[in-house]
Amino acid sequence: MTQYPGQPDDPQRSEGGDPYASPSSETYGSLPPAGSSTPPPYGSPGQFGGQQQPYPQQPYGQAPGYSGGYGQPAGPPPPNYLVWAILSTIFCCLPLGVVSIVFAAQVNSKWASGDVAGAQDSSTKAKQFALWSALAWVIVIVLYVLLIVVIGVGRFSTS
Amino acid sequence: MTLDQRPQAGPGTAPAPGRLVRAAGPLLGAAGALAAVAVVGAVDPNQPGHYPTCPFLAVTGWFCPGCGSLRALHALAHGDLREALARNPLMVVTVPALVLWWGAWLVRSVRARPRRWVAPAWTIWALLVVVVAYGVARNLPGAEFLAP
Repeated sequence: MTQYPGQPDDPQRSEGGDPYASPSSETYGSLPPAGSSTPPPYGSPGQFGGQQQPYPQQPYGQAPGYSGGYGQPAGPPPPNYLVWAILSTIFCCLPLGVVSIVFAAQVNSKWASGDVAGAQDSSTKAKQFALWSALAWVIVIVLYVLLIVVIGVGRFSTS
Repeated sequence: MTLDQRPQAGPGTAPAPGRLVRAAGPLLGAAGALAAVAVVGAVDPNQPGHYPTCPFLAVTGWFCPGCGSLRALHALAHGDLREALARNPLMVVTVPALVLWWGAWLVRSVRARPRRWVAPAWTIWALLVVVVAYGVARNLPGAEFLAP
C-alpha cells in the first residue's frame, strides 16, 4: 500500500490516468493521495508544522529542548528573586510585590518547559521590580519623614 | 563521622578565609535581618507615631497581605507567638520558610555551587493564589481572625 502516488517508480499510479501526476508533483514527490482537495505544494510540512503551532511565541526556547525533549535545560537556572517578592509583599506592606511573585513563577515555568530566553526575560523583570519595590519603600519613608517634620501627620501606626 | 569529613567547619573553629568570604552574602543578610528584628522589637509599633502607616491602607483603606507585619514581628521578637498570629498569621508562617531558604543559600554559597534545583512552578502560582486570597479575605466580614 504505497502512499506516494507521485513517485516515478510507481507504474500503477503514473500510468493509471491520475490527473494530479503532473511533472511538478513528480519532482517534489510527496503529494498526498488523490482525492485530497488542497494538496500542500512543497514537501510534506504537515508532519512537522503541527509541533510548532502551539508555541508560536517561543521560537528560541525550543532549540535547547530539541535534544532533550521538554525537560529542564542544562546549567543553572536564572534567579527568580522570589524571596524579594515575599519580603516586599508580606513584610514591607507593598501589594505590588504580587507582580514580583508572578514574574518569579514565570521564571520557573518557562525554565521547566525549556524556554531559556523567556526565563531570562522574566528573571530580568523580577529583578527590576524588586529594585522598584525597594525604591518605592525608600520614597515612602522619605516622604513620611518629610510629612512628620513639616506637617506633623501620621499619628498612628497600622503597619 | 561528619566532623572528620569537614574538620574546618566545626561550630567552634574559625572557618577558612575563602569560606568566610563566600558566606559573606548570607551572613550580611542575616545581620541585616537580625538588626531589623532588634529595631522592631525595641521600638514598639503599637505606639502611634513610631512607624509610618502602610501607604496602601492610607490610600485605599484596605488591608494588604503585609498589614500587621510590624506588630507581628514585634511580638515574635518578644516571644509572643499568639499575639503575632493574631496580627498577621501569613507573615508568621512565612518566617520558617525564609529561615530554611537562608540555610540553603548559606550552604550553596559556602560550597560555591550554583543553584540547580528549580521549584515546581505550580508551587509559586499556588503561593500567588494564597497571597491574593489572603489579602482579599482580610477585608471581608467573617474573616476577622485574618485581619490585623
